[in-house]
Formats: sequence, structure tokens, C-alpha cells
Amino acid sequence: MAEMTRHERIMTATHKKRADKLPFFHWWRHSQIGWAERECRNRGMGMCWQRPPYIMKMHGVDIAETQVVSPGEVVLRRTYSTPVGSIYLDEKREPGVGQWHALRSWRDVLPWQTERLIKEPEDYKVLKYMVENTEYIPYYFPVEQAMDWLGEDGVVIDELPHSPMQMLMIDWIGSEGGRFFIHHAKYPDLVEDLYRAISKSREPLYEIAAKSPAPITNFGDNIDGVLVNPKLFQKYFMPEYEKMGKVLHEHGKLMAVHMDGRVGVLKDLIAKTPIDIVEALHPPPMGDLPIGEALSLWKDKVVWTGFPGSVYILGPEAVKKHALNLLREIGSGDRLVVEMSTENLVSNENLLMLTSILENADLPLTKEKIDRIEKSLA
Amino acid sequence: MVKEKYLASLKKSIINLDFNAVVEVAKAAMDAGVDPHIAITDGMVPGMTIVGEKFESGEYFLSELVVAGEVMNEGLKVINPYIKGDSAKRLGKVVIATVEGDNHDLGKNIVTTLLEIHGFEVVDLGKDVPTDKIIDAVKERKPDILGLSALLTVTMPKMGEAIEALKVAGLRKRVKVIIGGSPVTSEFAESVGADHCAVNAAEGVRKCTEWVTPREVR
Repeated sequence: MAEMTRHERIMTATHKKRADKLPFFHWWRHSQIGWAERECRNRGMGMCWQRPPYIMKMHGVDIAETQVVSPGEVVLRRTYSTPVGSIYLDEKREPGVGQWHALRSWRDVLPWQTERLIKEPEDYKVLKYMVENTEYIPYYFPVEQAMDWLGEDGVVIDELPHSPMQMLMIDWIGSEGGRFFIHHAKYPDLVEDLYRAISKSREPLYEIAAKSPAPITNFGDNIDGVLVNPKLFQKYFMPEYEKMGKVLHEHGKLMAVHMDGRVGVLKDLIAKTPIDIVEALHPPPMGDLPIGEALSLWKDKVVWTGFPGSVYILGPEAVKKHALNLLREIGSGDRLVVEMSTENLVSNENLLMLTSILENADLPLTKEKIDRIEKSLA
Repeated sequence: MVKEKYLASLKKSIINLDFNAVVEVAKAAMDAGVDPHIAITDGMVPGMTIVGEKFESGEYFLSELVVAGEVMNEGLKVINPYIKGDSAKRLGKVVIATVEGDNHDLGKNIVTTLLEIHGFEVVDLGKDVPTDKIIDAVKERKPDILGLSALLTVTMPKMGEAIEALKVAGLRKRVKVIIGGSPVTSEFAESVGADHCAVNAAEGVRKCTEWVTPREVR
């Protein structure tokens, strides 16, 4: 059998069929361009590009950006003015933001909000106005362009924003100091009303994503069971995933959700969702659900696992140990794709070490094959 | 209402996460002449203790822990003006911070809440805290324990930087250092010279309690 291309390998595993080797790829947004990255790609590492299939217009909203000092540091303030009032957010940006890619700093850290859009109860009506006056328009050029550029070297997937309640939890209200929980307890009607408005406004977006040429749509939800407890997940996330899944599946597309936190407490509920790909699942020591357990629990799903940054920080020997342990716990290696990193840049040494292991992970995995890989690294 | 009933109601309002009840009962208790210290230590704190136990056992989630803390804060706003002096006896003092470059404070806040429930005085420096500010706080506040938190792997080295700065300032032997956060491992803690890596908030608090408790009474 001819060796699969990186695209075929990733998509075969993602369609729950057996690939020739364990697929592994680097996210473009976390990838260093250089000799090591080229060498790893030549040795089997794929590339994944995530791009939005839409553009967004807010009608009747003026947006102004100014630089302000708040408190004692320079931040960027973005003010949204609507007929029903104004709200603002403050954003702190590290060096590099806007100078390379994906709004990331030289250290690969996104800007963070020091002031959220919702601060007081009266801010809800302004945000609701913004949500209700947001129009999503199909725009497939970024997806088509990346597909053309990447070809068989990897996959291009649609990127959608956080689902409605996650927008509120980690973006618009924020979780700092437990703010979301306090708002949810003190102003449940306001929170739920806005949640419903976001959910309704997103319906056209799901249709747009479903018709995009990319084979997979990823919802960047950053699910962590510490923040999103089972009650919240069941009430606000699962219905939205049902809605998204129905539209995507009608168009033959796969649904991925970015779940990079500790999801052990949610594992039984996740099993009941129509999610096809649990994306960025981190095993211990960062997450709390071993990959082997996830695969055996979610038999109708595929796992794209994120290699933990907390292992990378310990260097190539720790990477080797963790990667070999991973191979030993995943059985045949089916229904799994390895993401080199989902959060940070990876050093050349770590990238090369992980590639040295994964490039030889022929499927189905056996103890003998894994022992051979280990010996080859000695 | 007799004193015991006010205390029981305060406790119940915390466990039930009831913002309105805590304010009403706190006002009524103060009007009835209940000692404000007793209202806190025998009313609200036992409520928080039960919430903390429910959190540690998995019955309550972070949302309930956070909201209970906020309910208690609402009650304290009513009671605090009646307090003269601070006679509260503390188990020990902890300075805690999320290191520089990291804006994530949920984990730190859980630990802070649990430490306070367990009787610690906590000096919370907040998030994105520069190393020199941490060192200044250790110098000035003389804690028993320094707690450092990080969620981003790129900010984890700041924990090592703070421990190194403690050594340079001659403060390292004065404090125990506990570190934690989702990506932080025991191997990393050992590599940067921390005394302990908290597996989770409850385990971290147990370690802090063990450190400040004389061996013979553990």
C-alpha cells in the first residue's frame, strides 16, 4: 500500500478508519518556520490551518480604539457605542502582537482583557443590542486559499468563536475572581437573556460553516470542567452542540470542539454530545483524563490530543518518556491524532524528539513496534 | 430570635448561597446585639466550612464555592462596621500571587478561599504580579508560606525566578514555597527549588496546614 499523505492520514483517522501511521501535525499558528520544522514535516508531520469561513458586521455600532493608562499600565481601550448605551473593554498586549501572526505575541500569548465588556447589570442591554445587530456573511476565501496552499500537506478547518455561554464565561463577563459565577447567581435573568440572544444570532453562522469547503468545523470553546461544571455544561453547552451538530452533519461535515482543560468531570456528558472530534484533549499532567480512557469511553468519537506544554518545559527526555507512555496506552492507535502543541511554540529539540517517535508509529501499534521505537532512540 | 438562631441562619444563608438572606439576617443579628466576631466565627465561617467540604468532596463545584464567598462578603459588609479591633486568631500567613505575564486567577482564588476557610490570613497580591512585588511582599508581610500560581507554560519560569530572587534577598529559608496551576508538575517544582507542587487546591491547603501545625499536634 502506498504511503498516505499527511492529509489522508489525518482524515482517515478522523473518519475512524485505520491510517498507515499515527497522524501528527503542527498548528500553523504555533509553528516555528525553519529548519527543524521543515525537517519534521519532511519526516511525516502534517500542518493544520484553522481559518474563519465568515466575516462579521455589526450594524448601528460605532467602535473606537484609544490607548489609555489603566491602572498604571498602558492598555488598548475599545469602546462600542450603540443607541442604547456604550461599553468598553481594555486589552493588554505583549510585544509582537500585530507584528507576526494570529494576534499572538513573540512569546505566543494572546492579548488579555484587563477590563471586560460586561461590568455592571446595565451593560447587558448594550451587548444584547450588539449581538442582535450582528450579521454573519459567508466568506470562504481564507479557507480556500489555505486549502490551495496546503494541498496534501495537512488539513484546513473552519474556526468558529466560543459557543454562546462560553462567550459570556471567558470573554464578555470573564472568569477572573469568579465574576461569571457571581453574575450568574446575582443576575440570572440578564445572563440567560443574553445567552439566548447570542444563541439565536449564531444560527446563520452554523449554516455558513456547514457550507464551507473545509471538512471540519472547530468551535474554539476551551472547555475546562473546573470552570464549566456538569450542570452548566448540560444546560448551556450540550443544547448548542446539538444545534451545531445537526446543521453540520446535514452537510456531511465533522464537528470538533476545543476541549483543552480538565474534562474528567464532564466525560460522561461529552459522550452524549454529537461532537465528532474532541480537539486539544490534554492528558495528565495538564489534563485529568488519560487518552486511553477517553478513547475507550468515547467510542464514536475521535481524539485530537494536545501534547502537554508542561512536558515540553522539562526537555526532550521528558518528551520521549511521555510520548512512549502515550503510545503504550492507546491500544492500536486508531481514532487518535497528535497535535504537536495547542498553546505554545515548541523548541526545535522537543519538536525533533517528538517527530522521531511519531514518524515510526506504524498502525496498528503493538508492544514490539513501540519497543523498537524506544530502542532506536537509545 | 435568640443568638443561636441568628448564627444558624447565617450559616444556612451561606450554604444556600442566598444573597438576600445573608444581608437580612446579618442586619437583624447586629440590631439584636449579637457579637459581630461571633456572628462571623460561629455563623458564617461554619457555613463556609461546609461549602468548602462539599467542594472538596465534589458535591459543590467552583461556581458554588465562589458564590458562597461572595455571599459571605455581602454579609461581612453589614457586620464589619460593628467590629472594633481584630481579635481573630490565625493559623498562619500566606502571601499568594499569579506570576507575571499570567492573567489567570481562578486557581489562585480557589486556594485563597480554602485557605481562609481553614483559618489562614491570606495576602492576595492578585494576578500578573512582577517578581519584585512578590519579594517586597515577603519582606514586608513576613508570611509563613509563599504560594505561586501559573496557568500558562510560558509563565512558569517566573516561579523559578521568584524563588531565585528569594534566595538573593536572603528570604528563602524564612518561607515555604508552594506552587500550583494546571501545567505545573512535581518535576518542575523540584527543578525550580519549590518546597511543594499542589496537586489541587484542597491538597495544597492540606500541605500548608501541615507546615504551620507543630508536628506533635498534627
